Amino acid sequence: MQTGTSKGITTARIVETRKLGPALRFLLALVVAIIVLLPVVWILSISFKPVEEWKADPPTLLPRKPILDNYKVLFQIGNPVGTVREMVSSAEPVNRAFLNSLIIAPVSTVASVLIGLCAAYAVSRYRVGGNFMPFFTLTTRMFPPAAFAVPLIFYYSWILRNYLKIKLYDTHLGLILMYTGFTVAFSLWMMKGFIDAIPRHIEEAAILDGASPWRVLFTITLPLVKGGLFATTLFVFILNWTEFLFALEFTSRAAITVPVQISRYATAVGEFYGPKAALGIVASIPVVIASYLIQRHLVTGFTFGMVRE
Amino acid sequence: MSEKQSPLILLRGLRKEFNSLVAVEGLDLEIQEGEFMCFLGPSGCGKTTTLRMIAGLETPTAGDIFLRGERINDLPPQQRRVGFVFQNYALFWHATVYDNLAFGLKIRGVPKEEIDRRVRETAERFELSPLLKTKASRLSLSAMQRVALGRTLLTEPQVFLLDEPLNNIRPGLREIMRAELKRLQKQLGRTMIYVTHDQEEAMTLGDRILVMNMGRAEQLASPRQIYHHPETLFVAGFIGRPPMNFLETRYRVEGERAFLARGNLRWDVSEKKSIIEEKVQGDRIVLGIRPEHILPIAEARGKGLTGQAVPVRVDLVQPLARQKIVDLKLEDQVIKMLVPGASPIARGEELEVIFDPKKMHLFDQETERAIV
Repeated sequence: MQTGTSKGITTARIVETRKLGPALRFLLALVVAIIVLLPVVWILSISFKPVEEWKADPPTLLPRKPILDNYKVLFQIGNPVGTVREMVSSAEPVNRAFLNSLIIAPVSTVASVLIGLCAAYAVSRYRVGGNFMPFFTLTTRMFPPAAFAVPLIFYYSWILRNYLKIKLYDTHLGLILMYTGFTVAFSLWMMKGFIDAIPRHIEEAAILDGASPWRVLFTITLPLVKGGLFATTLFVFILNWTEFLFALEFTSRAAITVPVQISRYATAVGEFYGPKAALGIVASIPVVIASYLIQRHLVTGFTFGMVRE
Repeated sequence: MSEKQSPLILLRGLRKEFNSLVAVEGLDLEIQEGEFMCFLGPSGCGKTTTLRMIAGLETPTAGDIFLRGERINDLPPQQRRVGFVFQNYALFWHATVYDNLAFGLKIRGVPKEEIDRRVRETAERFELSPLLKTKASRLSLSAMQRVALGRTLLTEPQVFLLDEPLNNIRPGLREIMRAELKRLQKQLGRTMIYVTHDQEEAMTLGDRILVMNMGRAEQLASPRQIYHHPETLFVAGFIGRPPMNFLETRYRVEGERAFLARGNLRWDVSEKKSIIEEKVQGDRIVLGIRPEHILPIAEARGKGLTGQAVPVRVDLVQPLARQKIVDLKLEDQVIKMLVPGASPIARGEELEVIFDPKKMHLFDQETERAIV
């Protein structure tokens, strides 16, 4: 009887904490969500604010008079409010930056993932390069990118241009090469993880069924790492899409990308918060769309490790 | 070679090293057409490596592999026409059962209608028809095993290589699948090489068993032969459950008679005197006796068995379904005896037992080989 009572008490206590649990957790999640999302809400809000409200004191969370002028200014559509237009007229229209980014980021992403995939397969299945090579590829990420910037400027704008007559400075190709080179280590290591997770026996079974190595790669291995491939592609795309430092250093007009364009909305007159925020919102759209499209595959990609061994 | 047809598979001096670690050492073996051969041994004994070398998934460091008299060392695995069933079945997880079964035929460029016919036929035989559209990753273990077998069967291999295919299956179902496999092999009349560390599996399935240890062949013989006439100490200790008891003894000769002596105990081995003296260098001989060949003295006398009465104390009694395993303390050593379930033997009891003299195994302690 006594044990029964004590058991009853414990059960009651557990129920109590269980009831309290979700509420507490929800509260905590809410606090974290507010902290994390506030800047996003802020930037969204600013992108609809007229110039007087950008630096209003006290600040307003939501625009008092929402306008679309900041967006119109970006693409130079219609006839936005005078002040904003004057302030931004010195900057280039974003169309070119957007187009550049839409070429450079996807192309370098595809190149990086393809190279990374092949390298990862070779490393994982044939031990190419032993332990050293895969590790060595990481050296491209070991130093702050700024450390590479100066020697690379030396290459791009001096050696290659003057002696080999290859123009890479301020060109698409210049950034594509650079982005591919700097993200290929990520591609390799991510894909290596996914390929390692596939039991070797599955490929051997295909080989014994008579399949050639290429056939095995394309009909067996690739479908099995599909999820991982999508995950890697998205990750590398985000890196390339948001890269700022190299784009700033290695472009001037023709090949500038969206992140560089965002930085252009600051002059001696002051920061153009409205257009900056608007461009930030617009720039995030491709990533959001890409993530949404890939999301379904991501789930299968990350649960792949659950294959019964 | 003579007129005699060359064996399906012939291994000669096969050796495999992994980074200076020897996995298989000097293996010679002949496997005949239609035979069910089992490779049996503890993990790491080289049995799977041997299987993989036959399949072409590993390259031998030295030695030759012949298939129907033709040396295939350098033949890529794609062209060997061997079927391999992996321990984890190695199904193509992303594909349906149908596509798993059809894969090998597609690779070989078999016409679509024929693929379809044969896949459906095989699915029928392995009771997979309702599952044809199911993804391989969603199958039960037994269905996976049937897909793996069916897939291999469809490519019409000259020999089936099976690497512990029943390992992941729960006991109960295991015995059923084992029987299925045996029936299938008899039905097809195909050669199978079956790797396992489970002696029961090897004993029930194999026409012949190759017992391996530390990369070497210990004994190649029929299951009966292996059980009743183990050639080495390892085989004797590995086969049989509970395992054979071993007692270290000294060989002594008194006039015409020869004995194995241990303390005050002496076992008469006069009948084997000449062979022992021929084969054994020193005087150290290991006496092996299986638990079922140790009898309480009364029972032994009843059966007319004579010999050294061994005084022991019962240390532990473990009842099984129909028998009891009795741990007997002989001086500082524990030996196991198997008695009928109804036997009244109890813990702490002092009694005398007799080793059935016809069932004693003698091993040279030096070479660890049986004295026969």
